[in-house]
Amino acid sequence: MPDLRRDFDSRDDLIAYCTEQFPDAAAVDDHIAETLGGRREAEAVLSDVDPRAYAKTRNMLTGAVTGLSPYLHHGVLSLAEVRDDLLERFGPQACSKLINELAWRDFFRRAMSEMGEGVRQDREDYKTGWDAADYADELPADIAQGETGIDFIDAMARELVETGYLHNQARMKLASYLVHWRKVRWQAGAEWFLSHLLDGDAASNNLSWQWVASTFSHKPYLWNQSGLIFISDGQFTGSARDGSSPFAGEVPEIAERLYA
Amino acid sequence: MSPPAPSSAVVWIHEEDLSPKSPALQAAGDGTPAVFVIDTGWLRDERISLKRVVFMYECALELPVVVRKGDPVEVVRAFAQEHGADTVFATATPDPRLRRQGDALQARWIEPPPFVVLPKAPDLKRFSRYWRKAERKAFTPTENQ
Repeated sequence: MPDLRRDFDSRDDLIAYCTEQFPDAAAVDDHIAETLGGRREAEAVLSDVDPRAYAKTRNMLTGAVTGLSPYLHHGVLSLAEVRDDLLERFGPQACSKLINELAWRDFFRRAMSEMGEGVRQDREDYKTGWDAADYADELPADIAQGETGIDFIDAMARELVETGYLHNQARMKLASYLVHWRKVRWQAGAEWFLSHLLDGDAASNNLSWQWVASTFSHKPYLWNQSGLIFISDGQFTGSARDGSSPFAGEVPEIAERLYA
Repeated sequence: MSPPAPSSAVVWIHEEDLSPKSPALQAAGDGTPAVFVIDTGWLRDERISLKRVVFMYECALELPVVVRKGDPVEVVRAFAQEHGADTVFATATPDPRLRRQGDALQARWIEPPPFVVLPKAPDLKRFSRYWRKAERKAFTPTENQ
């Protein structure tokens, strides 16, 4: 078993080598993320984190999210290290929201430690009035290819594949669309995300999908057009090409339409 | 080239342990031969795309490791044999696939510093139940856990 190369002249050289050594991965998709791997880069990203701005703006699609997740997933930085660094620089109050979000990752990892491969199976029944068998197994091609005609869904599907990253709000809304509007089992979407997300983590990813689906929460996560317009500062309307939107109306009305 | 110095341990770096401060690397000590294996079976089975491979590879290049590809259990076994080692250090992980592989290697699992040290296992059915037990500790630096 020969050693793989460690001497690369440039990132392009590394990319070309990976493409040749891992043809299966290149065949799945050969986009390359701009996010750089490595501890040095991770420390630079950490030093740019602004926990106060994070607390205020993190739910906006252009908000001050940290970009730490690929490094956390790969152990380049540990949750404890990030927490310690932030507490030292900013104190507990400023870090309140961010540390709460770090705790979600700890929670998901502890849960996976108990569940093992069970993270891939429904933890509970769907709370939608439907059975798991009522949901389709396969990811619809129009979603995978970003060709549903709905501005937000298509833009996020492409961003996932091209960049290996999605804002948490985009993940939740895309997941909700797939499971609740398109009636597809969450597993199909979770696997799609794991193919592409640089931070793809069976714990955080699968259990968040289950939270959206309602198999690891009390109720399905649904969202509407006005919420999307707000978090995207009007960049997206959630409308199809004909101007209609499956996300129009208030959430309780949508729930009624989807699951009556 | 002289043959490798005798050693009794190697380190298996897996994809959740790509830090120069890897707990397994630190536990094994400086100079312990270490290998990062890109798991081609996993790439194929889970349809992992190229950008994820490049990111991991780039992380690994900052570690004192040999990079190989294939089935981690076979590759690490062969690597240990090359170095005459009978112990494999690895950083503990909750990931079931990595655990299976490490168990097959009879790895000595090294626990990373925990985010929170809790007196007893929390109820993990909902985040809110975990958070009630963990909140205070989450805001406590590691040295005071």
